[in-house]
Amino acid sequence: MMPAWPSVPNQGTQPSPPAFTYHPGPAYTPVQVRQSFAAPYPTPPPSYSVSQVAYGHSQIPAPVPQPTYPPAAAPASEEPAKKKIDWPESVRFYVQRSFLPENLDQSVSRQDMEAKLKEIISHANETGIMHTINWDTMALPQQIIKHERTQALISQVQALTTDPTRGTAAATVPVNPSRKRKSGNMSEDMDNALPPWKISAESRGLLQDRITQPSPDKRQTMDEPLSKKDSKFQKQLEKRQKRFDGGYKSAYRSPSPPPSDGPVVGTCTTLEKRYLRLTAPPVASVVRPEHILKQTLQLLKKKWKQEQNYSYICDQFKSMRQDLTVQRIKNEFTVEVYEIHARIALEKGDLGEYNQCQTQLKALYQLGLKGSPVEFKAYRILYFIHTANRTALNDVLADLTTAEKKERPIKHALDVRSALALGNYHRFFQLYLDTPNMGGYLMDMFVDRERLAAFCNICKAYKPDVRLRFVTEELGFEGDQHAAQFIVDNVGQGVLEERNSDIMFLTAQADKSQLFEPLRAAAFRRIDIKGQI
Amino acid sequence: MDTIFREFGEAFSQQNGYQLSQTLTPQLPKDMLRVIWRSANHHDVKSVLRRGIQSSSSSLMNRLSREEVDGWVEVYYTYWKACEHLLAMEEGSSNSSWTKVYEAWKEMLNALHRGYTNYGFEAWTIPCIYVGAKNLRIFAIRADQQRNSSSAQENSGMSFQDDFDPESGKNQQLEDCARQLNRMFQLCLSDRAPLEESRKWGIYYVVNLLFKTYFKLNSASLSKNMLKSLTAGRGDMPGLSAFPKSQQVTFKYYEGVLHFLEENYVESEKHLTIAWNLCHKNAMRNKELILTYLIPCHLLTTHTLPTQQLLEPHPRLQKLFLPLCRSIKKGELHAFDIALQEAEDEFVKRRIYLTLERGRDIALRNLLRKVFLAGGFEPPKEDGAKPLRRTRIPVDEFVAAISLGSQQMLDPDEVECLLANMIYKNLMKGYIARERGIVVLSKSGAFPGTGV
Repeated sequence: MMPAWPSVPNQGTQPSPPAFTYHPGPAYTPVQVRQSFAAPYPTPPPSYSVSQVAYGHSQIPAPVPQPTYPPAAAPASEEPAKKKIDWPESVRFYVQRSFLPENLDQSVSRQDMEAKLKEIISHANETGIMHTINWDTMALPQQIIKHERTQALISQVQALTTDPTRGTAAATVPVNPSRKRKSGNMSEDMDNALPPWKISAESRGLLQDRITQPSPDKRQTMDEPLSKKDSKFQKQLEKRQKRFDGGYKSAYRSPSPPPSDGPVVGTCTTLEKRYLRLTAPPVASVVRPEHILKQTLQLLKKKWKQEQNYSYICDQFKSMRQDLTVQRIKNEFTVEVYEIHARIALEKGDLGEYNQCQTQLKALYQLGLKGSPVEFKAYRILYFIHTANRTALNDVLADLTTAEKKERPIKHALDVRSALALGNYHRFFQLYLDTPNMGGYLMDMFVDRERLAAFCNICKAYKPDVRLRFVTEELGFEGDQHAAQFIVDNVGQGVLEERNSDIMFLTAQADKSQLFEPLRAAAFRRIDIKGQI
Repeated sequence: MDTIFREFGEAFSQQNGYQLSQTLTPQLPKDMLRVIWRSANHHDVKSVLRRGIQSSSSSLMNRLSREEVDGWVEVYYTYWKACEHLLAMEEGSSNSSWTKVYEAWKEMLNALHRGYTNYGFEAWTIPCIYVGAKNLRIFAIRADQQRNSSSAQENSGMSFQDDFDPESGKNQQLEDCARQLNRMFQLCLSDRAPLEESRKWGIYYVVNLLFKTYFKLNSASLSKNMLKSLTAGRGDMPGLSAFPKSQQVTFKYYEGVLHFLEENYVESEKHLTIAWNLCHKNAMRNKELILTYLIPCHLLTTHTLPTQQLLEPHPRLQKLFLPLCRSIKKGELHAFDIALQEAEDEFVKRRIYLTLERGRDIALRNLLRKVFLAGGFEPPKEDGAKPLRRTRIPVDEFVAAISLGSQQMLDPDEVECLLANMIYKNLMKGYIARERGIVVLSKSGAFPGTGV
């Protein structure tokens, strides 16, 4: 599910509520003063699920609309009739008004609406204000529902930001057992790096404002082409879209239109925006200026931590990158956006996106912009090791300065390279177990390949057998179990033998039947990266 | 201008392409440029040229056809305009730039291209293409340099990419130049006229220029396509050996380097050896270039090092390779590492670092061989029998040998790993018996190809 982009079918006409008593997105939201100096937005597990629900409303697609839509007034007259109460005329009109097609809101289901309507009217009946209420100006049930949801979310977020237990919550976030750093931890560092006063209450208010109301107008215009279809088709479409998520880069790129004169300056103030490849000069009204993008980044970081929805995040980051590019913004903020996107892509193994970010980062660092060049240069080396791109590796080597070669992450990556070049698997797997930053995600990509190569070596060199434990230790397996599994998965059980409570790996036998050679050859043959030019 | 017409007439009467091409050279002293530029003005230049060309060719046996005259008028007209920009550049006028020269020169080359495709230029005039293409490349490089040094990054055309292209604009002219050269390549390749009068004779000149350009653009891989279409059209092309030697050497050199970059050392060695043998004995720089790649190739394919004699006349190569060679020969692993590290920048720049690094295997092999030799012989089992070398060697001895050089104790497991590599690569024959901590080497040729 892509939370912020509900492609909810829409009944053809846009809701244009006439008398708006409750505006779904209030002009301002009261925000309580921060009371602690803890990390800005950690996510205590319990509230997580609640906020899920709160966000959830926008993602629940409306139920399949009845094909034979009853006349607007019908349900209104039916419902109260059951109760055998004399409804005043004004109430009947109110109910009627609620179901007028132009007043329907696609984010509020019919059931919800009916329930709410019932509640409103019975409440009025019970409290005896039925005849005193001015039903003509009364907010429609769908508006009330929306408003309630908004309120619920706001208080939710406020509870989050002011919750006194939250300070410790950051620390109790489940410790990642993996040795790799998660991209999330990374952005957390950055959150902490931001002084608390920088995150002004105002901007936070603004932010939450956006979350609760992901700009309906905007969304609807985007959904319009789809909204005309019925929701079944819609769902299929969504499903299909899902399947291709992450496959944004199509091999075919339509020829770019002629260039425009200069950079646009964006005026769009919506935080979120779907990624669409530009086919015409960018329009200022749909491009977000830098200060808005900064808020977007904060929002996305938060969402990533909470929801871990990669296809959504990737889409959003791509549109951010696009906005930065069309406005020719190249500064430290740009670096930050690319770095974060690169880390997230790395964590999710999306090498195509990662490679795009990396290419940009290289150029940005060359402009002298600050960031984490050392970290990313190290990734770059590891990446080229993975893709076995010798030419690029050569170029990287040529670009490194002596000082850079001494930086730990870069030195590590260079050592990995030389260990592999010399076939020193012993050293390679030692380095693998001690990889700085997120390099482990990259090394994971080629570690099995190198294991197969090492197996070829070991099988030929050791006779007649070795202890499985030796293989486990030499090739960086997590345990004998893991090593045995790897062997069995690749070449079957024939080469393992139990002897005196030891498991032996029959190297001579594996060598004789050349078990590993074809596997090794196959593993080195296919290094095909999506998005790689 | 009259000189040009005279030489034009002479060249045509003798069908001398090189002489003809000289009339189109942009490498002229300032005075000459001025003379050419002043000899006509924008109004009458075309008619001046037409008259000149017609009169100079009137004495010819086979007169130029009307189309040909039209074509050559176009060529010289564009040449005349290019001279204007060149002159402006030479005189340092404020309104001049290499980019303008490049554009004007490109027009000249286009006029030539049209001459061949539309106006029936004959194949013997192909050296004109050489002059055009060669200088186009020169102007392109100058234009890029000038632009890059003057304005840091002018906002050149904006495309709708999601990310900005970091490389765009840096080599704008040279990239364009590569495209133009490619057109010339196609022009030569696609000529279906019989061989004697085919433009195919121009092909290797253009190919070599393209090689140079692609290498400079850091996209050597693009050369592959060109090689492919060359191989595809080889059937109806003159053999390489029929072309001028200079073209052969250059072509073979680049072909060798391309294979080298793909780690195809056997193939690379083949081409480089041909280039080496054909290379003029006094072309020191070219010989050095060839050797820069041939020596690492040789080291990997045949495990041999360059002789003193070979390196003697090339002090630069000596400096580059000698320390490394010495350490390999003596099996000094640590010295090898240091030598590699010290010259790393040079090696990387020439793209031979990753290849030379593999020479470490040979150094290691030599070191292990020393250990084996130091082990001496087994006590003879019976008198008079041929003494046998000790073939069971404790791993510890190898560990000690490797650790000795670097003065650092190596993990025995790591040494075993290195030994395993040696065995895997057939540099050493035998096996490791891990349980007993010994290496059992083959009795017949433990180190293949080294006499023991």
